[in-house]
Amino acid sequence: MSDATIEVRGLRKRFGRTLAVDGLSFTVEPGTVTGFVGPNGAGKSTTLRALLGLDAPDEGQALIAGRPYHALRTPLLEVGALLDAAALHPARRGRDHLRWLAHSHGLPVRRVDDVLAQVGLESAARRRAGGYSLGMRQRLGIAAALLGDPPILLLDEPVNGLDPEGIQWIRRLLRRLAAEGRAILVSSHLMSELEDTADHLVVIGRGRLIADTSVSELLHAASGDRVRLRTEARTQAMELLAREGGRVAVTDRDTLIVTGLPASRVVELLTEARVPFAEVGAHRATLEEAYMELTRDKAEFTSATETADEVTR
Amino acid sequence: MRAHHALRPLHAEWTKLRTLPSTWWLLAALVALTLAVGAAAIAPVAADVCPGGTCDEDTVKLSLTGVWMGQAACLILGVLTMGAEYGTGTIRTTLAATPTRWRVLASKATVLALLTAAGGALAVLASILLADALLPDYAPALRPTLGSVLCLTLVALLGLALATMLRDTSGAITLGLGILYVVPLLVTLIPSPTWQHRLERWAPMPAALSIQSTRHLADLPIAPWPGLGVLAAYAAGLLLLAGVLFRTRDA
Repeated sequence: MSDATIEVRGLRKRFGRTLAVDGLSFTVEPGTVTGFVGPNGAGKSTTLRALLGLDAPDEGQALIAGRPYHALRTPLLEVGALLDAAALHPARRGRDHLRWLAHSHGLPVRRVDDVLAQVGLESAARRRAGGYSLGMRQRLGIAAALLGDPPILLLDEPVNGLDPEGIQWIRRLLRRLAAEGRAILVSSHLMSELEDTADHLVVIGRGRLIADTSVSELLHAASGDRVRLRTEARTQAMELLAREGGRVAVTDRDTLIVTGLPASRVVELLTEARVPFAEVGAHRATLEEAYMELTRDKAEFTSATETADEVTR
Repeated sequence: MRAHHALRPLHAEWTKLRTLPSTWWLLAALVALTLAVGAAAIAPVAADVCPGGTCDEDTVKLSLTGVWMGQAACLILGVLTMGAEYGTGTIRTTLAATPTRWRVLASKATVLALLTAAGGALAVLASILLADALLPDYAPALRPTLGSVLCLTLVALLGLALATMLRDTSGAITLGLGILYVVPLLVTLIPSPTWQHRLERWAPMPAALSIQSTRHLADLPIAPWPGLGVLAAYAAGLLLLAGVLFRTRDA
């Protein structure tokens, strides 16, 4: 697993009048789970298809272990992919779907049974795929990706349709696979799905890179110097803190988030003014909040380019 | 080891084809339709005993009439080989496993051709055995027999080519049935004898079945082997065009 990298360089892809991917560059390192995040239609699936040699880039390169996909002699041994879990012939048995894939690479049938066990699908393996639930299809798709024991994995929305138990299972699986030194790229349109799973994030919008950052850095930046506090006297506290230079946001009935004042100063001010309060502490942003903040910063940028697009048309 | 490596996509396509129940249903339909229509065609001749074996019927051609019906099953089998991949989205899995696209198409064509040739041989031999049992002075001939099996095989390849070009099962079946059945029907409807003659010679379907004739060969619009050659040219040409499109288009 020496050269387990995914590399996208200046990738550009147009479908008719839509620019799906617009000069995207990023790298996925071995041993990490990288979340590939953006709203629906941001260009995630197009990027994954370009990496798999299914769509030819208009410009730039999409490389697996330093090579374009079509140059791989035994692709399933180098990269495992799950693009669309629904892409199964309904009349073919789950196990037979894995068998033809194994035959395409001369892999022994033992591998088929190994991966079926790994994803917990042994009991349904001899049923026709048409009767599978979405969760079972996802498991079969992941089994197919793992068939060649590849050092690189590309998974498009693998959490979609899984029940809470399934989501826990896939998180543990991805963590374990990354710990074995594999490079894993997991796309999602929901940032919360990647919480506790991804080490690194590549955020895109409208086919362009918005952020390429580690999860811890992003959370740290988003948490900022914000203070969270609970108070019964919300209005009173808001007026007081705003007067002293803080920016105050209300998150629910009795919780405020204060920016621009250190926690010690907040405590001091509220105590002096005899405003009742409880639970003052540093605010820890969720990944979802951090993402919202990122995309809000880019909102002006994206709407500006949108106008530019309109003009050039 | 190298040869073995090259055969892997072939092995994958064979597994794919044989693990679908529709494949076996269509092969059963091929044999049943060919045999049933063949039996219906020879029944009047068998009942009407020719005095001294002097009847002028081309009994060999008659006994193979069922091929005209059985080809529909071959067409659908050929279409499904590629159409189902586009319909279900498995084409992406296929191309991720074998990125060299011409190799995917060539493997599918090979497996399909071998399987329809086997099914076609079964259907044609069954028809001959039936005719041999029912007709008094029946003598099977090699060219119509071999030609009918080749015809069924080529129709399956035509179906594969159409599905690869259209990337759609129902569209390819409609177009394929049109080529096989509507064009020969047009031949009888067209008022111009010149165009009638041209269609009989150059449309794949009336032309290909001239391979079954054993009598009055001089009266045929096109000679037996050139007739089958017309179908072969359509199948090969469309398969080549399909290959070019398959290589260049995004999946």
